[in-house]
Order: sequence, then C-alpha cells, then structure tokens
Amino acid sequence: MSADKEVRYWLEGTELLETPQPDQDLEPWTETRVVGQRRPRVDAYERVSGTARYPSDVVLPGMLYGAILRCPHSHARVRSVDISAATGMPGVHAVLSGFSEPDRALRAHRSLLREQLFNPVCRHEGEVVAAAAADTPYRARDALRAIRVDYEELEFVSDERDALEPGAPPVHEGGNRVGDPQVYERGDLARGFEEADVVLEEEYRTECQLHTPLEPHGCVAEWEGDRLTLWESTQGVYPVRQQVAQALGMRQSRVRVLGEYMGGGFGSKLGAGKYTILAALLAKVTARPVKLFLTREETFLAVGNRPPANMRLRAGAKRDGTLTALEFVATATGGAYPAGGTSALDYLVRNLYLCPNVRTETADLYINAGPARAMRAPGHPQCSWALEQMVDALAEAVGMDPVEFRLRNVPEVSQAGRGRPYTTTGLAECLGRGAEAFGWAEARARAEEGTADPTVRRGVGMAGGMWAAGGGGPPSTVIIKLFSDGAVSLNMGASDIGTGTKTVMAMVAAEELWVDPGEIQIEHADTATTHFASASGGSKTVPTESPAVRAAAVLVKQQLLEMAARQLDVDAATLDLREGRVVSTSGPPREVAVSELTELRRRGFVEGIGFRGPNPRDKEVHPFVAQFCEVEVDLSTGEVEILRFLGAHDSGRVLNRTTYDNQVFGGMTMGIGFGSTEKRVLDRGQSGLLLSRGWHDYRIPTAMDVPANMSTVPVDPGDAEANTTGAKGIGEPATIPTAAAVANAVYHATGVRITETPITPARLVEALAGRERGV
Amino acid sequence: MIQSFSYVKAGSLDEAIEHLRAEGARIHAGGTDLLGCLRDDVFEVDRVVSIAGLEPLKGVREVADGTLKIGALTPLAAVAADARVRARYPALAQAAEAVGTPQLRNQGTLGGNVCQKPRCWYYRGPFPCRRKGGERCYAVSGNNEGHAIFGGAGCHIVHPSDTAPVLSALGATAVVAGPGGIRSVPLDDFFVPPRLDPTRETVLEAGEVVSELVLPPPGEGLRSSYRKVRGRRAWDFALAGVALALRVDSSGVVQEAGVVFSGVAPVPWRSRPVERVLTGERLTEDVVRLAGEVAVESAQPLRHNQYKVPLLRGIVERELAALA
Repeated sequence: MSADKEVRYWLEGTELLETPQPDQDLEPWTETRVVGQRRPRVDAYERVSGTARYPSDVVLPGMLYGAILRCPHSHARVRSVDISAATGMPGVHAVLSGFSEPDRALRAHRSLLREQLFNPVCRHEGEVVAAAAADTPYRARDALRAIRVDYEELEFVSDERDALEPGAPPVHEGGNRVGDPQVYERGDLARGFEEADVVLEEEYRTECQLHTPLEPHGCVAEWEGDRLTLWESTQGVYPVRQQVAQALGMRQSRVRVLGEYMGGGFGSKLGAGKYTILAALLAKVTARPVKLFLTREETFLAVGNRPPANMRLRAGAKRDGTLTALEFVATATGGAYPAGGTSALDYLVRNLYLCPNVRTETADLYINAGPARAMRAPGHPQCSWALEQMVDALAEAVGMDPVEFRLRNVPEVSQAGRGRPYTTTGLAECLGRGAEAFGWAEARARAEEGTADPTVRRGVGMAGGMWAAGGGGPPSTVIIKLFSDGAVSLNMGASDIGTGTKTVMAMVAAEELWVDPGEIQIEHADTATTHFASASGGSKTVPTESPAVRAAAVLVKQQLLEMAARQLDVDAATLDLREGRVVSTSGPPREVAVSELTELRRRGFVEGIGFRGPNPRDKEVHPFVAQFCEVEVDLSTGEVEILRFLGAHDSGRVLNRTTYDNQVFGGMTMGIGFGSTEKRVLDRGQSGLLLSRGWHDYRIPTAMDVPANMSTVPVDPGDAEANTTGAKGIGEPATIPTAAAVANAVYHATGVRITETPITPARLVEALAGRERGV
Repeated sequence: MIQSFSYVKAGSLDEAIEHLRAEGARIHAGGTDLLGCLRDDVFEVDRVVSIAGLEPLKGVREVADGTLKIGALTPLAAVAADARVRARYPALAQAAEAVGTPQLRNQGTLGGNVCQKPRCWYYRGPFPCRRKGGERCYAVSGNNEGHAIFGGAGCHIVHPSDTAPVLSALGATAVVAGPGGIRSVPLDDFFVPPRLDPTRETVLEAGEVVSELVLPPPGEGLRSSYRKVRGRRAWDFALAGVALALRVDSSGVVQEAGVVFSGVAPVPWRSRPVERVLTGERLTEDVVRLAGEVAVESAQPLRHNQYKVPLLRGIVERELAALA
C-alpha cells in the first residue's frame, strides 16, 4: 500500500494551497489564562464511562457482520475460489471473491492500493481472497471456513536480507528492487574522512515494529440509495472519503465518513483500507448495513508496520568533536508492494547535526510480507538507532562527553532543506536544559562508581533528535459559532486520534473567548457536517488546526466587541471580553453581558471562519528533542531495568501541559517497545509465515517495562514565526530518540554495544557471554 | 473465531469425569489457556466440560503432619497470597506470582498452570506440527529462539509452567481423579517427554482430572526459590528459569537438593548434575560456579537459542548465591 504516496503525510516541497489570509496578523500571546495549563480531556468522561461511541461500537438496525478470507501462504496464485458451500449457509447474506459470479466485475476494482481488490496473485500472507457478510460474526467466519480455495503455492522471500541474493524469488516481475537506490550527497566525503582524526564504522539493524492500536482497523458501512455512509476508525475522514469514492467510482459528495472517536492509529489509519471497500460492497449487495472489523492477527498481517532496516554508518570527527563526514548506506523493505520502506530513513543523518560532507544511499526492497504503513515518525527511530549510537561512540573515541559532543555540532540552518534557517533551533537548549534537569553529569559519575552488587551495573545514556515534519500548514478551515445565550460551538474536520486535539482546540478558543473549554461544543471529523481537513498525522494537527481555531475565535470576538461598541456607543478598540462580558479597557467603565447584546439576540449567533495561514516561506519549522535515561543491567541475566526517562522537547508553545506530557510519555513507551521488546518474526527460510501472531509473541511493553519516573522539560524558545499559536508537533519527536538513548545507557553500563533491536535479555546475555569469551 | 462446541457445567467431580471421557471433550477450569487454544485452533473440541464451579477443589488445606494440600482450582493469586505457602515454600509463591498478569493470576488456577499447553509458535500457529499429530517439528529448521536446549526429541517445545518446576523440586504429588478412581502421581512422573510421546504433555488419560497438588511437610532447613527471566517484565513466559529446593543443615551443608529448570526443556527439567554438585557441599563461590557450569554441560542449543546457555548458567549462579 502506498501510504506515503497516496496519503500526503506532510506537505514537504508542495506548493501551499490558496488559502485566504486571516483578517489580521495575530500577535503571539504574551500572557495566557487557559493555554499552557494542565487540563483534563474535554471528553474524558465520555471516554472512561463508555458512552463515547467508537466506530467499533456502532450497531445499526439490520446490520450484518463482514469478515475477510485471507491467503494463508507467503506467495500463491489463486487458481479458483469455490463459494458455493458458503453462500447457502444459514444467516449468510453475501460472499464475494474475484472469481464468484456475479461478482466477476469486482476484479476490475482497483482500490487506492493500486492492486486489485481480490488479487489473483497473493504476494503475502493475509492478502484478501474473499469476503462474506452474515447476521452474526460467527456465521460470517463459518462461511469463510466453507470457502474452498485452490492455491498454487509460489516461491517466496520473507526477509529483505535475502531479497537480493542470486536466485531469490522475485516478488514482482522485474525483481525485488522497488526502484533505484536513492542517493543524497553534499560536500566532499573523501575529504571529510581525510580531515577526521577518528573514523568509525558500524552496522545496525532495527526490527519490524507493528502498529497495535487498541481499536483494530475497520468500519461500518450503510447505503441510502446511492449515498454511502461510513463510520470508520480513522485518522482522517477526508482522505478516507476521497479514496473510497475513487475506488468505487463515486462522487466524493455522495460518501459521508464519520470518525468522531477512534481507538488509535499511529499512522496506520491515514486512509481507507481494502476492508473499507469490502464493507461498502458487502453492504451494497446485501442492502444492509455491514460492520467489518479486523482481528488483531489480521492487523498484524495486512495493515501496516514500521519497516525493518539494515544500516551501515561510517562517521568521521576531529579531536575537538567536529563532525567531518557521514556516510549512510541502508536497505529496508515496505513488504510486497511499494509502501515507502525507506521513507525518511536517512533524514537524521542529513539534518540533525552540522556536517559538511554527507552521503546517503537507501534501497527499498520487496519481500513477501505485509506492506508497511506510516508509523509514528517514519524512518526516524530507525535512523536514530544508528546515528545516535554512532555519535555516542565518536564522543567516547575523542574523549568527550556525549552531550558536549552533540552541542559542538548543532546546526543553525536546515542543511538538507536548501540551507534555509529554522524558525527556532531548540536542539542546543534541549541538550543543555535536559542534561541539567536530568542531573546528567552527576548521574554518569554515580553510575561509573558501580553498585553494591557486582553483577548489577548502572548506566546513563541520551540521544538527540528532530522530526522532518511537525510544523503543520494549510489547508485548515475552522468555524466557531457563538449563540445568543453565549454558548460556543467549534466545527473542524480534523480527527482527535486520542492525543487530545479536541481539548487543545477548546483551550485555544477559550483563551480568546473567555469561556470554559469544557463548555465548548465540538463537532468534528464528519465529512457531511465539518470542514475539510487533512488526516491527523505527522505531528501536524496542533500546529495546523490551532491557528485556524484562534483566527476563528478572534473573528467571533471582534464581532462581539463591535456589537457592544454600537450598543454602548464607544469605540470597539476600547473594549475586550472578560468572562462572558464585554468590558471597557480604557476610558469610563462600561460593560454589557454577551447574552445582553441586542444585536446578538436579534441575529441569533455570530460566526467566525478561521483559516490556517501559510508557513514562513523562507524558513523551516521543525520540533527538536533530547532524551535522557538511566538503566540498571543484571550482567548474569541480561535484564535491563529502565529506572527513569526525561524528555526535553522544543515543540514550540505548550498548549496543554497534560496532553503534552501524555504524548511524551506515550512516545517514550513506544520507543522502549521499539528498542527493548518488539519485533515481528516471520518464518524466514521455511514458510515465511508470521510467527509473532498475537500479543504473547509480539511483545508490546507493559507498565512493568516502562519507568514510573518519566518527566518532561518543555523548551519553548517562543516560535512566533511558525504560526499564530507558536505550537509545533510533539507526538512523533517524542518517540524518535528513545530506543537509542536506552542503547547508549546499556553501553554505558556494560561496555557492550547492542546494534540490533530489541535489547532483550536474550540478546544482551549472549553479547556479554561473547565478550567474556573474547568473541 | 472459535469452533462450535457444547458446554457442560459439571456439578460434581464424578460428573466431570464422566463427560471428559468422551472424545473431543476438553476441560475448563480458569479457561485462560483453553480460550487461547480454541481461538488459535490448536485442537478440535466437541464439548467443553467446566469444573470451575467445583468448590471442593478450591483452597489450601493443611493436614496434621504438616502436609499442604492445594486444590487444583485454587487461583494462582490465592496460592501466591497464602501465608503458609509464603512462609514454608516461598518458591511456590514466587512462581505463582511470576505467571502472566494480575488478571491471569486471578482467573488462572494452579492445576491449569501445571496442565497448560505449550507456547511454541509453530504449535500455536497454522502449522501441522508433530505435537498436533503432524509429520515434523518446524522449530528444527525454523525460528527456534524460544525452544528447548534439553530433551528435544522430535519436538522442541519448552514447558511453559512456572509452578510445575517448583512443585517438582519440592517433591509434590498430583492427586488425579479418573474413571478408575484416584491415584497419586509424583510431579517428576507427571510430564511426558517428547521422546515417549510428542503429542501429549502429561500422563493424564481420558477423563482424568488433577484435583489436588500435595506438598510434603517442609521439614528442617528447607530453602527454596524460583526465578525466571523473560523478554518482557510481565505477561511473559520464561526464556529460562530455575526452581531450587535445598535442605541445608545448621552448618550450611546442603543435605538434599531439588533443582528443576523452566523454559529450557519440553518438561520441567530436573538437573541431576547440579543436584549432585550441591549435595554434601556448602554454597561457596566455587560450588556455585561449578553448579552453573554443570547446569548447562549437556545443553544442545539450536540455531537461535544459544543465549539460553549463558542465561541459564547466570540464573543458576545468581539464585544459588542468593540462597547461600
């Protein structure tokens, strides 16, 4: 699935869409009452009490349940599909396959995935072969069991490290390269290495990480005549609508997508899936609403992952810590279809540290496995795993402190971004203030003194980072209405994917309108009733939507002040809002309650339409980060206990400290999983099938695996240039350096570099034993 | 999705035994393992026979000579919390506490933990492996990072239980009720290694139910512990583990040693070599080191599980040192 091509994750290099400018240039806030505070979610009660209706909660009268039959082989040609036994079963209303009459026409359906809906050649385990709808989920599954499929099993390759071997079975005609390797170069690499006093080279690998949102992928589909309504668990209702309309040959206006609540996506729900199209088709042929949600196992097989990456990094530095050369060569795989296996994989090498001589080469390969989808900071945690361990090693090699070394190499401009300056570069502050708040120097020294138990060692490590997107940008349209009783409603197309978007937007509106954020009625994520928005992803939702919210709120406020000015016969410029009243800020004291504004009562409401203005044209907007951690390692068992973590983040202005902290803690947790517990396991060289099929064998971290002691240090350099709320993204930067920081801490504790994720007791105890033997 | 089956809630042990004699009948106690097996299609089932309501099979009883009898339906959480267990057999409390998660320990039973099915990903996955009556063990040429380094013979699973190695080390017996009456089986004889039959884990015959686990009185000088290492700090099975039950006299000399490993063999793996090294010795640094060495001397690691050799040695040394 070509998530990175079809679903625009951020607008890098894209000409900005024509968007009206706000009526006035809003000055940055100087003092805030609401913004920046700790606020619980405006929908917390609904979420914890169970009254929030997620797509998987939707039950409609007469609704059927859909289920998908998936290919059980790594690579197979579908010779025939016999659905005759399944169609007659009690309660079964429809069975679809590419071979079944009268559904042969379905073979022509080319979805957003650029593959056929029912692919005659299944290139990975879990490809869609048939689908059924029945009056219970159990009968739908029984129908699948009754379908007879004749497969011709084909040779396969299930690991990208085998994909280019001579004789490796081609996943597609033409071989296993998705395209030519991507090369980036600047400066003179050879000279850079000549100038270096120290040159190090190392190979790194990161394993495939799976998306594990609490709510699996799926939807409920219902037709009324030729209009289709979808309740979809998605990060973006508009991309889903566009893709479904395209796949089904419909006008976008005939498709309505709702996604008010959704149970997590992490990048894997930026658009529609085959399941969406199948639900719509099953609903069409049965003339009933159809609910189709995937099982956990199906989500592991078919709807995304963070690609595994194999990276070789060679780096040179001078004695004084100046980086002189970086050479990065990597292969990765997005699975069986073009899916951005190497997306942004070299970004940090190109950009994070000042280095004049850089060359990167990344090759994306096909294997017979489920396709990648965007996953929380695509490419970045992988690259960080290599770069941040290498920088740590370079610092040691030249005898410098790792924080000092990084501070020596902080760039002022975006080196791969045409040399344009950043609006703010918080990297140095993240490093400096983070180290200070963590007690870096003391903790390092204390760790080196050892512990009372000679088989237990302490280590302290850190890593820096930045995120390729996170500045947000147009388009975004937000409408705020204020009614005659003073009540406020906020209308936006964006999804709240669990990050607290609704809460943050309510706080921004409340800041301007002097109302309680919890009182603001929010309508969002519904293509029929809310305005166009891009998917919530790329850590761009807050910096994209919040300036539009602020602009809309200011327009509402201006109208109220003007109404009051006419009513009080004073200049509007002398008035301001205070807790439901318009009051004079200079001259004789005058005031009127908003609900007493005659014009407002006559009109019934005022409305402000806010647009997201363009980003600064000649600058780059990025979030920066430095994370620090302390670990304890048992040398006899290889067990690592992470004792504490601190994240210092430049994500611009903090709009809600609670949701900000939640994002950082969640990002660290996911990074700990990436670095310490998680890996997709395929049966390499045997069946190619998924072995880590559930949460027993695919280990996401538990509460016991993450430290209770997690903290944040917001670094807010005041990014007035980025946008009118000064906010940048936080969700993705929070997970980028985490795994590398753990690896560096483990090295500090043990002297052993673990260059392959995850750092399990198995891997570490073997490495420690190898060192003892002198291997 | 789970296959169709009928459900019987047994009102008595005899009734359960009667129903369980039928082909395709499966026992339900806590259900935490059964449900996963059904979802994963590990075996066929016609009838689920629930013994969950049989109150006499729940709870810990002490008899006059100090023997402790633990009903097979006693939840793991209750085993771990029992004051007598904690005081006399700390290893058992530690093992019960090391299982799964709080929810699983509240629901899962001691009998079920001893009788659970292996976690091998080929056995649990869509592979017709030897343990499921198929032709081959897929772990041999596949990914065997979680598999056995001892006792693999045509099947390389590891036994998943944390409590079974402890019960074995403590010399416990299982009381088994069946169509032919009641019999007592020492834990050491309870498990079936794959060289005898790769398709079964225990000696239980059709209709037989473990009703009780019986711990002999601790006697003088018993020191016991259980320790496992896992890939994640909760909700995970052992990569390797060791149950120790040592009888140490007043001068610190080990009179009797029970040493049983978890996570490294198809059955709880009693290590006679370590027991021999320890018996008659004090737990000095040299003895501990030697015990670590002999613990793994007959290990036969596969391609991806060589780490289990240093890991098991490390755990054995660490736990012996802690008991010294």
